[in-house]
Amino acid sequence: MSRPGPSPSRVAGFRRRLLVAMMLVISGCTALALYFAQRNLEANVEHDLQRQFQAELTALHNIQETRQAAMLERCRALVRRPRIHAALEDNALDLLYPSAEDELHDVMGGVDEPPAEPALHARFYRFLDRAGRVISPPDPEKTGRLSPEEEEQLALNGVPDRQQLGYLPGRPGDAVAELSEVVTMPIVSSENGEVIAALVLGFKPVQPGGAGSGIRSGVWVNGRLYASSFDAAAQAVLSGEVWRAAGSAPEHAESSIRLPIDGVPQLLFYKRLNPGSLFPPAYEVCVYPLAELQARQRQLRWQVLGVGGLLLLGGLGASHVLSARLSRPVEKLEVDSAEDRTLRARAEAALELTSAELQRSARFSADASHQLKTPVTVLRAGLEELLARENLTPDECDQLSALIHQTYRLSSVIEDLLLLSRMDAGRLHLVFSPVNLTQLIEASLDDLGALPDELNLAVETDFPPDLYLAGEKRFTSLILQNLLENARKYNRPGGRIRITAREEEGRVFLAIGNTGRPIPPQAQAHIFERFHRGAMGENVPGYGLGLNLARELARLHQGELRLVRSDDEWTEFEASFRLVRAPEPPAASPA
Amino acid sequence: MKARHALVLLLALVVSPGLLRAQAVIEGRVPLPKGRTTPVMNKRYEIVAQGGVLSTNPPLAVVYLEGSFPAPATAPVAQMIQKDLTFVPSLLPVQAGTKVEFPNLDDTYHNIFSYSAAKRFDLGRYRSDEKPVPSQVFDVPGLVTLHCDIHEHMRALILVVATPYFVMTDTEGRFRLTGLPAGRYTLKAWIDSNTTLERVVELRSDTTLQADFP
Repeated sequence: MSRPGPSPSRVAGFRRRLLVAMMLVISGCTALALYFAQRNLEANVEHDLQRQFQAELTALHNIQETRQAAMLERCRALVRRPRIHAALEDNALDLLYPSAEDELHDVMGGVDEPPAEPALHARFYRFLDRAGRVISPPDPEKTGRLSPEEEEQLALNGVPDRQQLGYLPGRPGDAVAELSEVVTMPIVSSENGEVIAALVLGFKPVQPGGAGSGIRSGVWVNGRLYASSFDAAAQAVLSGEVWRAAGSAPEHAESSIRLPIDGVPQLLFYKRLNPGSLFPPAYEVCVYPLAELQARQRQLRWQVLGVGGLLLLGGLGASHVLSARLSRPVEKLEVDSAEDRTLRARAEAALELTSAELQRSARFSADASHQLKTPVTVLRAGLEELLARENLTPDECDQLSALIHQTYRLSSVIEDLLLLSRMDAGRLHLVFSPVNLTQLIEASLDDLGALPDELNLAVETDFPPDLYLAGEKRFTSLILQNLLENARKYNRPGGRIRITAREEEGRVFLAIGNTGRPIPPQAQAHIFERFHRGAMGENVPGYGLGLNLARELARLHQGELRLVRSDDEWTEFEASFRLVRAPEPPAASPA
Repeated sequence: MKARHALVLLLALVVSPGLLRAQAVIEGRVPLPKGRTTPVMNKRYEIVAQGGVLSTNPPLAVVYLEGSFPAPATAPVAQMIQKDLTFVPSLLPVQAGTKVEFPNLDDTYHNIFSYSAAKRFDLGRYRSDEKPVPSQVFDVPGLVTLHCDIHEHMRALILVVATPYFVMTDTEGRFRLTGLPAGRYTLKAWIDSNTTLERVVELRSDTTLQADFP
């Protein structure tokens, strides 16, 4: 019976395993969450940076566009000037440059004085004739000096009918400042609507990229990059990259790519500055260093790792506490179950003892009953023999009769005890067969009618014909007889007995009620106990075995017997049995 | 203005040698190209350019008698008015040596200039209250295109001819030149900046010559 008690090592093991499992889950979840968080954050940072780059680029473009628009508008206004038209249309070419000098005074500026609008500072201007050739200025000092090669680059194959934008590499050098932004604006005759000439204006390009902006930019033209902020190696890399892009990209290409320069990743953006122009293609090249992005990403990674570590530590602490708390009920359970096991062992021992005692007592009852039956039979035979004598006085006869009656009662009690002891020993097994309850009741009523009726009882019945239950007729009858006897025995004079039987949901219910005295509520729980007679008067015959026997028998019938009601007016018992179908006519029920 | 005009003309006639002789008259018709618009309501002509050729619209011609005539003793005076941002008239024939005044009758500035070979000048910016009225003497025969530096659409023509005998046709092309000296001359009809018709005429005193241009 002895089981191992609650062992501290087993509980500790459980706690350890729980802790490890929780740690694994928490670590896994944290790692996963951190991984995604970090990826997300890095993507966000990159996205932000790209957006910032785009914003700066857009701002730059806006400035450039505004300036270009101003430039073009200025040129457009210039080519509408009546003097320039008059010089061209009225065949006064000698007056062309002098007229233009007046008109362009504000953008050209004097030798000493700066131009009125610094953003639109023109370096030179020339006119192209109808064939696209440069009309030589009478005084190059006033129109901006250009070398013959440079002037040659301004010439076009015929005057264009649309404005053209180009970039003219100026003096040797790689800076943007050395470039000239050239606008060629056609001059349309007001007389016949034909393009009769063109004005070419070379502007000083604006130096992009304000302070604080990360963007470095330049202009790529004729296979060379003009940018002051790159060293030679970077220029070569960028130049090659744009050269490749310019070769393959369509006319209006603009694109941004990642490119390492000097070991630092950079975002390179390039865009054709003069799409559709007759001038050689020029590209705007903007470079945004991603070093800041990398630094921020590195910082972010460390932050994420730090937060992750903290989270993990917190999670481990929490899991430790949690596992301790979770294992507490388990410990309690362990203790409890150890106690339970002890209790159970004790109870089992007691039960075994009781069972042995019960068997012993049942065997004793059976033995006793058997031993008693024979003397009682002998006793009754002797008494009947005495009664048969003729010389007895009537008084002696009465006494003998009473004694004989007592022997019957004695045998009846012995019978009951025998039966009970068999049941207690578990040796009573019913052989089930269909029992006609209706017949059984009718027979019992006949027996009841044969008894001396001192109480003048009225009997009511209510049962359907041919109601069959599963049972052994001998014992079913015993139940019925016991209940009927009780109903009669405890009834009041002039009282009623009612016997009803009904079937319901596969069961047969037999109810026997009477107008006897009520069973006190505190006694109702004990009426089915052996040798209990309640508060019945001693004048009522019985040994307190009847109800106990009836209930045990009913249970052997796989049924039940219970007290339904007991008050001043009515006391009723109800027995239930299994319902069976009526046997086929040839298969006669075993009587 | 008209009175002065008439006076000048009268003076010219008086001093001209033809006055002493009997005077001849030419009547005729110049074939005019079709105008681009239907006849205008008032007598204001605009200068139109078509294929680089300047002419009036509706088309008009200037008919003049070419020959060697003595220069006028006193410079004739004519006017080219700027009003409502246009020149009035848009075509002004003058004898060489004529002084043309350019009164500004608008409220804004005008800046009349010409880059034409016959007369290059630039009056600068001036307003209506400019005194004396800006003027130029046109002594080289030829066509002078007038521009305004401020109003690029303004355009006018001054046809300087070396003769006192000239007249503008009506919109049908009909003309009548009177008080002409007898003799053999070339009669010319300016139609646009590219087209001048001419024919030889034999003028006799007191006769009216019917001379149509083909």
